[in-house]
Amino acid sequence: MTHRTRNWLLLAPAGTWFLVMLIIPLSVVFIFSFGERAPSGGVVPAFTFEQYANLPARWTAFKNTMTLAPIGTLLALLIAYPLAYFLAVKANPKWKTILLVLVIVPFWTSILIRSYAWIFLLGGRGIPALLEWVGLEGIRLINTPFAVLVGIIYGYLPLMVFPIYVSLDKLDKRLLEASSDLGAKPWRTFLQITLPLSIPGIATGCMLVFILLMGEYLIPALLGGGKVFFVGNALVDLFLQSRNWAYGSAVAVALVAVMLITVTFYMRLISRLGASREDVSIM
Amino acid sequence: MENGGYVGDSSPANKKAIAELRGVSKSFGDVLAASDLNLSISAGEFLSFLGPSGCGKTTALRMLAGFETPTEGEVLLDGEVVNTLDAHHRPVNMVFQQYALFPHMTVAQNIGYGLRQRRPRLPKAQIAEKVTKALEIVRLSDFEDRKIWEMSGGQQQRVALARAIINEPKLLLLDEPMAALDRKLRKEMQIELQDLQRQLGITFVLVTHDQEEALSMSDRICIMREGRIVQIGSPQELYDRPNSRYVAGFVGTSNFFSGNVTDQNGGLATILLDNGMSVQGTPGVELAEGQDVCISVRPEQMKLHRQSDGVKVEVHNRIFLGEHTEYLVNHETLGDFLVLSPRQSELNEGGFEVGDQARVSWDASAALILNPN
Repeated sequence: MTHRTRNWLLLAPAGTWFLVMLIIPLSVVFIFSFGERAPSGGVVPAFTFEQYANLPARWTAFKNTMTLAPIGTLLALLIAYPLAYFLAVKANPKWKTILLVLVIVPFWTSILIRSYAWIFLLGGRGIPALLEWVGLEGIRLINTPFAVLVGIIYGYLPLMVFPIYVSLDKLDKRLLEASSDLGAKPWRTFLQITLPLSIPGIATGCMLVFILLMGEYLIPALLGGGKVFFVGNALVDLFLQSRNWAYGSAVAVALVAVMLITVTFYMRLISRLGASREDVSIM
Repeated sequence: MENGGYVGDSSPANKKAIAELRGVSKSFGDVLAASDLNLSISAGEFLSFLGPSGCGKTTALRMLAGFETPTEGEVLLDGEVVNTLDAHHRPVNMVFQQYALFPHMTVAQNIGYGLRQRRPRLPKAQIAEKVTKALEIVRLSDFEDRKIWEMSGGQQQRVALARAIINEPKLLLLDEPMAALDRKLRKEMQIELQDLQRQLGITFVLVTHDQEEALSMSDRICIMREGRIVQIGSPQELYDRPNSRYVAGFVGTSNFFSGNVTDQNGGLATILLDNGMSVQGTPGVELAEGQDVCISVRPEQMKLHRQSDGVKVEVHNRIFLGEHTEYLVNHETLGDFLVLSPRQSELNEGGFEVGDQARVSWDASAALILNPN
C-alpha cells in the first residue's frame, strides 16, 4: 500500500461523514432556499429570491442571536478565566484532578434536565419567591434574556474553562519567575506574560462557545419561553410547525452566512493579535 | 562538624560583602534542602556553588533571588535582611537554566523587559539605547527584531544574559547556564562569561554540577553536599587542601586508601592502611589516634619508577596524553589506582608498557589525610 492510498483510506471515514452529513444537506438547504412553499407544506422547486426578501420578518430572532451569543460568550469568558487560572496555577496539585472532574460533572446529566432545574429556580416559586420574602417584589426572571444568559453560561462554562486551563497549565512557570525577577509586580506579570500567552486558549474557548451558541435552540426554548428566541428556535418553528421549508431554508442559509462572516472576522482579529503580541506585552 | 571543622573562610578578607547567608536553612515539608548555610559573597567576585543534583545549590541560589524564603536564618543583600522581600523588589537578576525567555516577545523586547518595569518610567529612547548597548555587549547587534524561537541555543543564552545584565544587578545569578549547550560552545561561553564579569564588575553567582566549569571560571567555589556547605575556597585551595574525601574526589581526581591513625608527630601522622601497610601522610584535618581516615594522593603526585622503594605494582593500562601519560596500575592489596607521569621523566627514565612490573612512591607531604566520607 502506498503512502497516498493509505492517506486516502485514513481520510475516507471522516470525508464520507463530512460529505453525507454536511455538504449534501447544506446543498439541499441552499437549493430549497430559492424555492417556493408547496400548498401542503414542503417545497416546490423554483428560482426566486422571495424567501430572502422576506428575511426581515425574522429580524428579532437574528437580533437575539447576534446579541445574546456574543454577550454570553464574553460573560462565560469572564467567569471561566479566573476559574481556569485558579485550577492551572493556584490549585494544590493533589486536588487538581478532582477539581477538574467537578467542572465536567454537570455534563453527566442531560442539558434538558439541568435546564428544567433552572426553570424551577428562576420560575415564580424559585429565586423570585426568595426575593419577595426579603421584600423585593415583582421580579420576573424566567422567560427573560437574563434567564437565557444564565442557562447559556451555566451550560457552556466547561467548554470555555478547558481550553483556557490547558493554555495556562502548559505555561512555563519559570517565565513568571523570570518576569518577577526582572522587577514586574504580580499583576504586571499577569498582564504582560500570563494573559498574552493564554490568548490561544481564550481564542479557542470563545470560538467553541460562540459557534455553538449561534445555533442554540434548547436553552432559549426552555428558559426564554417563546419570548426570547434564537434563530434556531425560528428554524424549528418554520420547518416543523408552519412547514415552510423554502423560507426555513433561506433563514438557515442566512444564519450560516452570518456565522461564516463573524468567524472569519474573529479569526482575522485573533491572528492579528498573535502577530502583534508585542503590543499586548508593552501594556 | 562532620568534616573536621575546617570549611574555609566563609568570607574573603578586606572585601565588602554584597550578599550574605547567615545560618540559612530551607526545608520543603520533611525534606531539608539546605542546612545551616553560612557564606559571604563579596562585591565583584565570581562565586560558584558546586555539587551533584539535589545538594541544595539551586535552593541556595533561589533564596538569593527571592523565589524561596528561608525556613531559618537570614539572607542579606547589601547589609540588609531580605528574607521576605519579593523577587521583584530585589536588585538581583537571574539567568535561568533553560533561559526562560518570553516566547511572545522579540529579542529586544525580552532584553528591555526589566527596564520597562521601572517606576517612574524610563523614557523609551533611553530604554532603546540601553538595549542596543546590551546587544552589543553580548554580540547580537543585528538580532533585535528576531523572535526567540529563531535563535540558536547559544544565542538564546546571550539574550538571557543581556536581559539580566541590562538591569545592572548587584548580583547576577546563573543557574546551570551552560547545561543546554554542547561542549565546544560551553567552552566559548565560559570564556565570554569570565570576560563579561571582569568588564562589568558585576558579582556573579553560578550554580553548576560541572567541576571543570566551576574550576575554570570561579574566584571561589562553594562545594555542597546534601544541603550543606562542605568547603569554600579558591579552586587552588580546594584542589591542594581538600577537607574531605568528598571534596578531593569532586575537585579533580585522586587515589584514596583507607586506614586508621596509629601515631602523630610533628607535621606528619602514621596511618595503618586496611591492607596492613603503614604509611606516613600529612593531616588535612584534625586527627585523633585510632580514627578512621582516608589518604588522598593526586595521580600527578605519584611517581612510577623502577627503583626499589615504593609499592610494587603492575601496569594495567596506559593512556598517552601528550604532556603526560596516565597509567592505571594495580597493587595486590591496594587495588587499582592512577598515576600521571610527566613526559619529561618518561624521556629521561623510559616509560612503561602494559604488563610491566614497576614501583610507585610518593612524598608524605603529598599524601593528604582526610575524613573517609
